[in-house]
Amino acid sequence: MHEFSLIKDLIHKIITIAREQHASKVHGVTVRIGALSHISPEHFQEHFVHASHGTVAEGAQLTIKVMPDITDPQSQEVMLENIEVVD
Amino acid sequence: MKSRTIKVDYLARVEGEGALYVKIKDNTVVDIKLKIFEPPRFFEAFLRGRTYNEAPDVTARICGICPIAYQMSAVHAMEDAVGVKVDGQLRALRRLIYCGEWIESHALHVYMLHAPDFLGYPDAIKMAKDYPDIVQRGLQLKKAGNDLVALLGGREIHPINVRVGGFYKVPTKQELFPITEKLKWARDAALETVRWTAKLPFPDFEQDYEFISLRHPEEYPFNEGRLVSNKGLDISVHDYDNHFMEEHVQYSNALHSLRKERGAYFVGPLARYNLNYDRLSPLAQETAHSVGLSGVCRNPFQSIIIRSIETLYACDEALRIIEHYEKPGKPAIEVQPRAATGYGCTEAPRGILYHRYSIDENGLITDAKIVPPTSQNQKTIENDLRHFIVKHLKLSQDQLTLQCEQAIRNYDPCISCATHFLKLKIDRE
Repeated sequence: MHEFSLIKDLIHKIITIAREQHASKVHGVTVRIGALSHISPEHFQEHFVHASHGTVAEGAQLTIKVMPDITDPQSQEVMLENIEVVD
Repeated sequence: MKSRTIKVDYLARVEGEGALYVKIKDNTVVDIKLKIFEPPRFFEAFLRGRTYNEAPDVTARICGICPIAYQMSAVHAMEDAVGVKVDGQLRALRRLIYCGEWIESHALHVYMLHAPDFLGYPDAIKMAKDYPDIVQRGLQLKKAGNDLVALLGGREIHPINVRVGGFYKVPTKQELFPITEKLKWARDAALETVRWTAKLPFPDFEQDYEFISLRHPEEYPFNEGRLVSNKGLDISVHDYDNHFMEEHVQYSNALHSLRKERGAYFVGPLARYNLNYDRLSPLAQETAHSVGLSGVCRNPFQSIIIRSIETLYACDEALRIIEHYEKPGKPAIEVQPRAATGYGCTEAPRGILYHRYSIDENGLITDAKIVPPTSQNQKTIENDLRHFIVKHLKLSQDQLTLQCEQAIRNYDPCISCATHFLKLKIDRE
């Protein structure tokens, strides 16, 4: 039930980085989803499409890596790994 | 065009559950918007097509703190639809499980969420360093409530023993007996809680509210009664939709509920207390009196005392019910579905919770409406902030944010579990 707020924060971060890097467009986003993060890739994708609408990240290719290890210290987290931008 | 990859490794964070936008012109609030981020959850939509007896278990999932409220409103609405009335000891057991929920929910809010605001701590964990005994008392009190819910409901969160017509299994008197010692301890702890909260520093803040709660001819309300207010409302739960409406505002994902042609209203412990003080047990009344409260309390910051009084009442009432309990012959009465619409409204810890269901002749749900207390208080929360913020404009941004969070937490809204949930934006002209 906190996905909306979580992904909003993620988009905010992407926009900030794109601005800092003087990028005109973000065309790729890679995230890691922890085994205990309570969000499925499909659900994440849906929220991402909605939240990125009208931003520099709209239409970006989303790569989602699902981490299987529940003992990983970041197993509860959603991690923005990298973004691909064009200048 | 050159493409490059930027390594980030950033952990996404929940941004907060709400935002408050305030626009100020000449020291007057000209615009105020409380935004709730949490997206719609579509419970009313996915109940359609499910059977009537699934409603209590499906809707219980709406809240992990007050699942009993959802179960109770659901079963009463369904029983209204099919034309049965649950009475006697089964009815008493429903009050008893509701007592458990009030105890655990109120103890959580009083000790873990609201008290740290008053004492200047960011959360209960930091507060525990200086007030270990108090925080321990709060946790144990909460546990007593959880134990009662688990005893009757099968487990403490999202219990599974409530059904349309009664319960799946009912306890013997013997099985209820061990919890009485815990409840006696909890009653004493609740008494101490009232005395302790009454000494907290309260801002002088009162508005001309319309308080709305259930009122029963004999009891402090849980599951039954008419909907009444201090401004002349006195209706059957069946007439709810004729007097209330939900409104979608563009800036918030939570619907605002309004009194038709009147506007904002106030539900929850303060409303219940003000409209039902004479139905409290003698012990709860005496305790309120001993800390200087009359039968009316209009300061929402003092809701922490009223929640404590209601916790005391819930312990007292639970002990009374157990004392008079005899195991009923059957755990539930027979229910036959029929095509009808049913209405239910019960007193969740946070205020009235309204359910309405239409079912067909096979018992399949064709329409559902659920109005939780938080959406009913939203307009009043905004109104409070409108008046409150003007008096505190000289505070720093951080201080003002904390004060606004405290004012919002007076209502124990669903977002208040997040200790620092608010993003405050003030535009000054």
